[in-house]
Amino acid sequence: MAHDVAIVAMGCTPFRDHWNSSADDLLVDAVTECMAALPALSLDDVDAFWVGTQGTGLSGQVLARPLRLSGKPVTRVENYCATGSESFRNAVFGVASGAYDVVMATGVEKLKDSSQSGLSAVLPPADGTDVDWTAPAGFSLLDPAYREAHGVGERDMRSALTHVAVKNHANGALNERAQFRRPVTAAAVENAPRIAGGLGVLDCSGVSDGAAAAVIVRAEDAHRYTDRPVFLRGMSFIAGSGAGLATGGYDFTTFPEVVTAARQAYAQAGVTDPATQISLAEVHDCFTPTEVVLMEDLGFSERGKAWRDILDGRYDLGGALPVNTDGGLKSFGHPVGATGLRMMFECFTQLRGEAGERQVPDARLAVAQNLGGQPGSSVAFVAVLGSEL
Amino acid sequence: MPEHNGIGAYAVHLPAYALAGNALDGAEPRPGGPVRGVAAYDEDTVTMAVEALREITAEPPSGGRLLLATTSAPYDGKTSAGIVHEALGLDTGVAAADLHGHRSGATALDLLVHAGAAVALGDVRTTRPGAPDELAQGDAAAGFVPGTAAAVLLARAGRTAEVLDRWRLPGERHDRVWDERFTSGILVEAGWAAARRALADAGLDAADHVAVASSNPRAAAALRRDLGGSGADAEIERLTGYTGTAHPGLLLAAALDTAAPGETVLLLSAAEGADAFVFRAGDGVRSARGGRPVREQLADREVLGYGRYLHWRGLLDVQGPARPAAPSPAAPPMHRRAGWKYRLEGGRCDACGGVTTPPSRACAVCGVTADAAAPGKVSLRDRGATVVSVTRDRLTTMPEAEVAIVVADFDDDGTGGGRLSAYATDVRPEAVHVGMRMRPTFRRLWTTDGIHNHFWKLRPWEGHDQ
Repeated sequence: MAHDVAIVAMGCTPFRDHWNSSADDLLVDAVTECMAALPALSLDDVDAFWVGTQGTGLSGQVLARPLRLSGKPVTRVENYCATGSESFRNAVFGVASGAYDVVMATGVEKLKDSSQSGLSAVLPPADGTDVDWTAPAGFSLLDPAYREAHGVGERDMRSALTHVAVKNHANGALNERAQFRRPVTAAAVENAPRIAGGLGVLDCSGVSDGAAAAVIVRAEDAHRYTDRPVFLRGMSFIAGSGAGLATGGYDFTTFPEVVTAARQAYAQAGVTDPATQISLAEVHDCFTPTEVVLMEDLGFSERGKAWRDILDGRYDLGGALPVNTDGGLKSFGHPVGATGLRMMFECFTQLRGEAGERQVPDARLAVAQNLGGQPGSSVAFVAVLGSEL
Repeated sequence: MPEHNGIGAYAVHLPAYALAGNALDGAEPRPGGPVRGVAAYDEDTVTMAVEALREITAEPPSGGRLLLATTSAPYDGKTSAGIVHEALGLDTGVAAADLHGHRSGATALDLLVHAGAAVALGDVRTTRPGAPDELAQGDAAAGFVPGTAAAVLLARAGRTAEVLDRWRLPGERHDRVWDERFTSGILVEAGWAAARRALADAGLDAADHVAVASSNPRAAAALRRDLGGSGADAEIERLTGYTGTAHPGLLLAAALDTAAPGETVLLLSAAEGADAFVFRAGDGVRSARGGRPVREQLADREVLGYGRYLHWRGLLDVQGPARPAAPSPAAPPMHRRAGWKYRLEGGRCDACGGVTTPPSRACAVCGVTADAAAPGKVSLRDRGATVVSVTRDRLTTMPEAEVAIVVADFDDDGTGGGRLSAYATDVRPEAVHVGMRMRPTFRRLWTTDGIHNHFWKLRPWEGHDQ
């Protein structure tokens, strides 16, 4: 890239049932919070905008209309559940390429205006031969496959999944922006109604509304806007070929797209041993087994050992490598277009030392990992953010 | 047309479920009482016809006909036999047509032997809950292809009797029935006359095997008694119910399952008149059956609770999950991908031999892009597959509390493997496990916006590798 970049301000609405707010309201709230941190800057000074949304609206007008932006380029992007990250990534390129000086990435999703469970999507006409998976069903395939591949007993795996849920809800309980702010017990997780395969309700992320925004500038300009910028050290996005569902070989114990994206992002960031060099990580805990597998795909745990590291508390808030310190999708729910930026928001907050009770001591490098699709056919984003360039 | 005067091969598809009781108060079924076969919620006449005929149509002839006889076609107006034709991969020169009405099963058999048609007889029967004959109606399909290995026709006779026996207005779900004491007299008279004529024309006083199928059970009982049958047909009927147009085919198949070469079979169908056939079992009768014998399929069924049956049939409106209906398929992609959708044909890469499912221009193994005009096809529908991972969907839009969904890899027999994500069926979801062996079965996934969505599911392999 021609220029290194930095995030100088972010905004993030609470993620929850926003019965009295529209998607427009949420975007205005997130952008307003973001701009409030930059009193010397107005929206007129922002050269270009990106907005990520999966199903809340079409075109750049999703953002241009609620903000009444005039004469500005606004691009709407979509990449499944990595849509928020995709908004960020493309905004970054706007600055890194030298095309713009100041850009804004936003993401939004309004899910709760439907009375349906889970995520909804409008799909093009098709031949009807695809399985009509629920998202939990698709991701629950990881559980039996992981146990089979690594010889993990059902009880041990269940305990690891439960630990992920308990940990992330405990973290979310410390976060005023989270949808769910009460810790959950292991018994509550394990006795919750079953949804898909071995997964119960509390193995699944919630359904919520939310929006987030970030202002991105050249790294060399960052201190003009804030004394605590957060620098993008590495970033990669992979759209999988879908071969994992279209032919044999893929065994549902990994996200190859994440592995590749992590390798590329780490290389850019100079990270050679993520297990020891990363201070904290926000990862896509859409369902508890996803987080287990991601610990290995991101190089935090050895293959087949993540379940053990999780039970040992390695990824707890006070552990060696805290994961989902803000509460994750488990506590925030998953307004698709906003989630990736919500992860960035926590990394941004932690790297600036502003995370309060959740603060990871001496946080220097953070990973934001976001994915969409389903095991075997996913899209994956990994970024490394640092308090220093 | 001497080459078409008999049956070359036959097969029966009996659903995996049986209903033994229909007490709304939960009372236990009467021991030894009637039992009916129940098509699973994902089966219809078309899928059952495919399951029967796929066993015996490995090398479909060009020309000729495919006939589907039923009173429960999944579509009005649209020809159901066309879907069966597509799923079987028959030559486009094979005509496909439906026959309707209670007599059409016998008519199809007539056209099998006289016109060389491949025929499927299939029906899904429902009554109002609690109807007197609810357990006496059942679901089944039978398939026959022309030839002489299984049986040769010696004689055939028919009688037509217009009578208001069983009828249903367009759009109605259940038959109405006239007092069977009135209609049985007419059907017995027609049946007796047809049977006597056919036996006389065959030069016989009696047949070694007698099978009587009648829409009227009183008539069936009288004719069985008068024709001196062994009662084997009645015994099967008590386990399946009267299976409508499929019934003469089912009973004929059951007789052929046990007939020795050279033995004679009198098949009498008494519905809206009567049709009598006298066959002599062919020299190849012992090897002419596709799939499993009728008795074996009957012995393998799972007993179904009445509530579940009512739910499957849409006779109980049960609250489902807060989830949108599964999307309906669209005509152009259904047509473009007919090989995949109806015949489970994967794409085989000319460069690396890998199999891509669904077929696509670029190989999922090596990425080489193929010529769109020459997709490499490999049929997967008759291959075994091994479960790679499995889940249980408890928010299913199907009329079940949960269904298993699997990802399975097809056996690699030297022509590549292939992978299928599919619903499991005819199995308890908790019984599906990684490593389990399964085989494809043609089913109806769902119906949305008036469009039936037929595709392949996977069912346990056991019982099908014989």
